[in-house]
Amino acid sequence: MWESYCAVEAGLGREENFLSLDDVLMSQEKLPCRLESGLARLGFLDKGGETEHIPQGSKMELPLWLVKGLYDNKRRIISVELPKIYRQGWRTVFSADANVVDLHKMGPHYYSFGSQLLNFDSPENTEIAQTLLQTFIGRFRRIMDSSQNAYNEDTSALVARLDELERVLFKAGQSGLNDFQNWERGQAAQITASSLVQSYKKRKFHETDT
Amino acid sequence: MDASEVEFLAEKEMVTVIPNFSLDKVYLIGGDLGPFNPGLPVQVPLWMAINLKQRQKCRIVPPEWMDVEKLEQIRDTERREETFTPMPNPHYMELTKLLLNHASDNIPKADEIRTLVKDTWDTRIAKLRLSADSFVREQEAHAKLDNLTLMEINTISTFFTESLNHMYKLRTSLQTPEDGQTQEY
Repeated sequence: MWESYCAVEAGLGREENFLSLDDVLMSQEKLPCRLESGLARLGFLDKGGETEHIPQGSKMELPLWLVKGLYDNKRRIISVELPKIYRQGWRTVFSADANVVDLHKMGPHYYSFGSQLLNFDSPENTEIAQTLLQTFIGRFRRIMDSSQNAYNEDTSALVARLDELERVLFKAGQSGLNDFQNWERGQAAQITASSLVQSYKKRKFHETDT
Repeated sequence: MDASEVEFLAEKEMVTVIPNFSLDKVYLIGGDLGPFNPGLPVQVPLWMAINLKQRQKCRIVPPEWMDVEKLEQIRDTERREETFTPMPNPHYMELTKLLLNHASDNIPKADEIRTLVKDTWDTRIAKLRLSADSFVREQEAHAKLDNLTLMEINTISTFFTESLNHMYKLRTSLQTPEDGQTQEY
């Protein structure tokens, strides 16, 4: 079925996809940082502090896009700390059983954000990347089975614990299933108006209304 | 790909019909059909067979495999074997659906056949999912999917290729980027 809007999927890697809405949303997730050099006369940015300058060594939570701009190995303006879900403790949880974790609550962009963290040359990079991959593999079966079996029922409970990336996958699996079921029940043969035409009519009606 | 597109492709399969009218050979781009004589079996593509049937111009002879005993045997081997067993027809699902919907009066034990084919289908889909999962778990690079039909591939392909894409990207980020790729400002 053709749709008027075709979503651009997340970049998922060191580089984000410029046109992907998911990646735009992901880039404003907060990342704990430590200032390696003081910022003169920028105290007004820090809501809690009353000082004029932001001193060296203070800890702040900055959005990812800002951190990416400020982070530089040579100038050392800020250093990045890992969010707790990517640290050793949580990595152990993921390797034990990835299925029990509520990835949506733990930051809805677990995979994309995790891949972005690899930009900051943390010593634990290899482990993080390994965990991301293993988590995906571990959760794959559950997503596949639930998306291919839930026909005509409320899926909100199934997707509640899924990461944004996994939700896109779930949707793909659902459309495969629905497509097949529609065909099997003979609904695919019925000719219906394109969704584009339908929404066009609605807009027309709305315009005449005002 | 849409399920109805797969069905369209399946409509090229040849089936045997027994017409009740007479007509000379018809010359079509896809090949010559006929001649049609009342009572004499003739091979036509499925789309034509269904059209003739709807106008009550023919009786459809069910394909040889569309038979309760044969299908039971197919279902049992499918359950027994670990790999996919060859199907009697690459479009068995579509053929069953179309023939049973339009010509169930020409097919003996139509309901049983429907159930048997559905059982076989379910077994195969379960197998497909199982193998997809082990494929992902072992991080294999390629897989050989013999004897899978187009319809079966079609139900899982979008989901599966998308997952493999994600996995590939996650795996490439495992490798540290080469020095040449980092950009200096």
